[in-house]
Amino acid sequence: MSHCPYHDPFKDARKKGPVLPTQFDGEPVPMILGLKDVRKAARDFKTFSSNAPFRIPIPAEEDVRSVRQFPLEVDPPDHTDYRKIVEPFFKRPTQPEYITRVENLIGEILTDACQRDSIEIVREFAIPLQSRALTYLLNMPESEANVWIQWGTHVFRDESGVSKGAEMEAYCHQLLDSAAANPGDDFFSALVQAEFQGRPLTRDEMLGFANITFAGGRDTIINTVAVVIAYIAEHPSALDTLRENPKMILTATEELIRFTTPLTHIGRVCPVDTDVHGKTVKAGDLVSLCWASANFDETVFDSPEEVRIDRKPNPHIAFGNGTHNCLGAPHSRLLVRTLLRKLCELTSSVKLIEATPKVEQEADYERNNAYESLTVQITPSSP
Amino acid sequence: MLAVIETTPPINMPTVTFITPDGKQTVIKNTDGTLMDIATENSIEGIEGACGGVCSCATCHIHVTPEWIERVGPADETEQDMLEFEEATHPGSRFSCQVELTPDLDGLIVEVAPLS
Ligand code: HEM
Ligand code: HEM
Ligand code: FES
Repeated sequence: MSHCPYHDPFKDARKKGPVLPTQFDGEPVPMILGLKDVRKAARDFKTFSSNAPFRIPIPAEEDVRSVRQFPLEVDPPDHTDYRKIVEPFFKRPTQPEYITRVENLIGEILTDACQRDSIEIVREFAIPLQSRALTYLLNMPESEANVWIQWGTHVFRDESGVSKGAEMEAYCHQLLDSAAANPGDDFFSALVQAEFQGRPLTRDEMLGFANITFAGGRDTIINTVAVVIAYIAEHPSALDTLRENPKMILTATEELIRFTTPLTHIGRVCPVDTDVHGKTVKAGDLVSLCWASANFDETVFDSPEEVRIDRKPNPHIAFGNGTHNCLGAPHSRLLVRTLLRKLCELTSSVKLIEATPKVEQEADYERNNAYESLTVQITPSSP
Repeated sequence: MLAVIETTPPINMPTVTFITPDGKQTVIKNTDGTLMDIATENSIEGIEGACGGVCSCATCHIHVTPEWIERVGPADETEQDMLEFEEATHPGSRFSCQVELTPDLDGLIVEVAPLS
């Protein structure tokens, strides 16, 4: 069985203790590492609060956006009311028409990829796939994706070094203006018509909802899609296994999402001085919930560094846990399941040509998180 | 309200009743797979099965009625660690994706856990 020695940078830290004391943006941040401890902290919003605009994602995003993200950066009970506003959109991926549209989309993009000598997956496959699929979630015309595709892999921190954050906010203002003037049944129209505790949303709140949908739902999907393709390229027999056991698409999806854990960690603020597994966190300081470490916790996962596409149970928390668990999870799961299914149906092999890992270089760890670029050759299945 | 749903064989497989928090009972005959599989196939309200049954999403929580607990069996450690944090837990709490249907579960009655 193969292992990826570069994939779990927290293994040594977990041996030393339940937290990795480190810094981000020059501030001390203990990272909580074990699956049970992360889950427990994610459920304890009184001790580990999300009520901290710009500081929940780490590093902080004050420099790249002007609005607080909703419902991410709010604690219950208000969180519950904010989350309800957008929940119906995030449930759309269970509708049969939605599933068919995603199947057609991935079928089209894969068929096109098969006709090329080679394809760079991140920019020519994953970004268009992510952007076009997001129009289905937000119930918007598919042509809007042409605007979003130009924002790069990460709206705020694309490899080009240019943040598209301001451009995205200006674009959202425009969409909200036209929705207010002429409401339809898309996401932006729902925001302008929504009520929060008996009053309409403020413009900043609307922008905050839009902001996380565009920014948070982006590199996560792009990274996962790239790792799925890379995995198939490295394991040619996996497609045969899945063709023989179509039910295994479900477990393979969860396992590849666990293995990728595209969101490494997220922050919480301690409102009062707090002892976090022996480390004191001062009132107002951050802790990190490290999903990426939790998902490789050897006390829970047998051979965590091995990809086992039939892994079950697989209690990973790549989508978070508890109150703030990922609203985009049904959409994300549908994309990965459909991608695997269509790879089985339409292709016979994926050959790796070039791969440049994307590295998160932090003060005390270095983590590979998918790819800057990944070039492959995809061969169609013989008719 | 009572709905009876009969699926095609495998023969000899158990009949299971789901009771949703609104009191609706659905009887499903000739079941196969896991409790979550049959609940989602038959659109039992409150059972999403978002993760496809790998014990990750906690959207398939049920309560096994006391007379059935022993035959259904307890949650293993992985499942128990997750149930611990759920709301509306009950001595018969299980994730339905972790309950494999076997002929000796014929007649089983489970309640869908209320959403918090
Ligand atoms: C594989 C893909 C994805 C992963 C791994 C992922 C991961 C996560 C995680 C770990 C959280 C929890 C944050 C916390 O506890 O503070 C979260 C929250 C969230 N995600 Fe995702 N995400 C993914 C895709 C998406 C997509 C596609 C969208 C939207 C289009 C999205 C929208 C959201 C939103 C709105 C929240 C906030 C929920 C709340 O605060 O109640 N995510 N995501
Ligand atoms: C984003 C970066 C990376 C991703 C997503 C990735 C992904 C993977 C995957 C999916 C596997 C297969 C694991 C399994 O089947 O159990 C693997 C194996 C492996 N990876 Fe990585 N990897 C990355 C970076 C690297 C780097 C930078 C190196 C070395 C320079 C590396 C070296 C290896 C080795 C030696 C194996 C085992 C191969 C085998 O025995 O078949 N990986 N990796
Ligand atoms: S279906 Fe996800 S935990 Fe049961």
